[in-house]
Amino acid sequence: MRPTLYDYVLSPSCYKARLMAALVGSELESVAVDFHPGGDHRKPEFLMLNPAGTLPVLTHGGLILTETTAMLVYLVRLAGRCEWLGGEDPASAARVQQWLAFSARLTASLGLARLHDMLGRPADIDAARWAGTLCLRELESALVENRLLGEDFLAGNAPTVADVACFPYVMLAPDGGVSLDPYPAIRAWTRRIRALPGFVEMPGIHRLHDLRPEPGEAEAAA
Amino acid sequence: MASVCGTLEVAVWRSASGRVAAWVDRCPHRGMRLSHGFVRGEMLSCIYHGWRFDGAGRCRKIPAHPDLDPPETIRTQSLACLDAQGVIWIASEAPAVAPPDLGNVVPLRSLTFEAGIDAVAAMTGEVPDRSLLRLDAHGPVPPLVLLLQALGPGRSAVHALAAPTGTGALVAASRALEDFRRRTEAQGIAA
Amino acid sequence: MTLPAAAIDEWYPVAMAPDRPLRPDQETTLLGERVRVLLDGQEPRVEANDGRNLPVIVRHGHVWTSLGAPKHDLFAIPEGEQPGRRLVECGAIRVRCSPLRAVENFLDIAHFPFVHTDILGSEPHTEVNRYEVRIREEVDEVWATKVTFYQPQAAKSAQGGITTEYMYRVPHPTCSVLYKTCPPRPGEWDIITLFVQPLEEDLCQVWPWMALFDDQTPQADLIQFQQMIFLQDRSILENQIPRLLPLDPGMEMPTRADLTSVAYRRWLKKRGYHYGAQLVAA
Repeated sequence: MRPTLYDYVLSPSCYKARLMAALVGSELESVAVDFHPGGDHRKPEFLMLNPAGTLPVLTHGGLILTETTAMLVYLVRLAGRCEWLGGEDPASAARVQQWLAFSARLTASLGLARLHDMLGRPADIDAARWAGTLCLRELESALVENRLLGEDFLAGNAPTVADVACFPYVMLAPDGGVSLDPYPAIRAWTRRIRALPGFVEMPGIHRLHDLRPEPGEAEAAA
Repeated sequence: MASVCGTLEVAVWRSASGRVAAWVDRCPHRGMRLSHGFVRGEMLSCIYHGWRFDGAGRCRKIPAHPDLDPPETIRTQSLACLDAQGVIWIASEAPAVAPPDLGNVVPLRSLTFEAGIDAVAAMTGEVPDRSLLRLDAHGPVPPLVLLLQALGPGRSAVHALAAPTGTGALVAASRALEDFRRRTEAQGIAA
Repeated sequence: MTLPAAAIDEWYPVAMAPDRPLRPDQETTLLGERVRVLLDGQEPRVEANDGRNLPVIVRHGHVWTSLGAPKHDLFAIPEGEQPGRRLVECGAIRVRCSPLRAVENFLDIAHFPFVHTDILGSEPHTEVNRYEVRIREEVDEVWATKVTFYQPQAAKSAQGGITTEYMYRVPHPTCSVLYKTCPPRPGEWDIITLFVQPLEEDLCQVWPWMALFDDQTPQADLIQFQQMIFLQDRSILENQIPRLLPLDPGMEMPTRADLTSVAYRRWLKKRGYHYGAQLVAA
């Protein structure tokens, strides 16, 4: 039996679970929850499942998960793809945790700005954007340093759950009026993630058409 | 990628063989930013309708009409563009002089400052000359060359290059640049 | 700024109809003015900033109002009344673009392979076949007919790729109705509309609405399919330069695939509808 994802197509957090499953080659059952305009995540039936009223929710057998980072770890272990959890040594394991925690700051800043600009939710938009900008500057600097050390991803030379946890809200920052133009290292990192085998998009993140051959030139190029 | 040249918004891209080009960031068809486009081989395609442009900015393919040979008049607006010393230089018209000799340096990183280039230059204690500044070595930080690019009235990009050195010193230089940015921006808030 | 009558004396959507999950007492913006949508029992009322009551129509799943005095009724969609149709309100999505650019994008099919990849279009099926466009003078509407396009997943109910047929209708400067091949019921048209509420000249709120023949798909899935499609367009719409729609030729370069947009721009110009438009090439 496959895990079931209570899902909203425009939610970057729900997308993290979909992306993680796709990257480790797993499939999920999906139940669409009418977050907008219906507000079904605040209705009694949904609150029975998740009293916090947040999306996504992942259920599997008797297990109910309501925190996205926990879902990422679960999907990785379930698929037996533990390389996505990062290295076993203390520093590598801690670096992954560091970025998983950081991802919550992205949600609270860039995610809030996006909800404001896209769905008209109330927010102190200038404060949300500036908090998001500070997060992006931290991320940019970390990625510059990683590149100097010869590392392509957040917690080393291979992608981990940390990258999946941080990628969606970063990539969708422009939805909330925060441009990615000032961050070349971030843009290069998002391209590396988008080029991973099994990668799937969500609305607002376009297909990396660069990777496909031009129709009519396919054979010539190969 | 998107950049700015004076008041022009610019798309800068590199082809598979390494050629760089800079165009006004606007597809002639429906005004979509070309910096959102995609590169296949030696051509850039607009993300909106896939109109495909060669390195000289001429439209070579309109996917909605695959059999049409696009007229020569359909082209992007090109800027002068040069790839030299690890830096891409752009100008609205090709300048008579070559970019300055930066000496023995390698690219480190580019940062955006919420401060105009004059404010950035003032923080280094140097008068901006061709927007090129030098920062002397400090402790573990190697000597740096800073290229300043105006992005708008209160915004600039700082492209930093460093004398070749070890990884640890380059990481220290990257952190020194962030410290420099914090101090520069704080100065603006205080003023 | 003084608004032209063509924009003032027009109906615009400002909320979902009250029999839908509606948050009453909502404040919103119309043509730069703050307005409030209130509920008197089940009756929606719209109040302007200065306290005056604005005219109201409840139709096509939404509450419509006007800052002026429209001389015409709000357009009808007779096919939407057919029994057996599922009516689907999708809520509002805000976009930093001209309301007219949002409509023009809705009328465009050539972008499907690049923006709605593997759903509404895919390479190498990029060709736009000849179709017919005319301004129907008797009803003062733009119509595009016999539009066909190969689509990998035309609708939530579609199984695999099909060549879809489209008809586009523009009965209103900021609204369009799309009639589209209905996978489960050949011979009938699915109806997908785009109702655009102009907040400002370069900021709008889009209210997609559908009237479909589909007994199978859960409501939430239908809504999310439509929201997915529209959100794929949003990052395009927010990155067109200039933000306002250029009505004069010269600024942008249409091809045969853009005949609907050419007619739409001409029609706007003829009606004097310039809110969200740029008249002189900058």
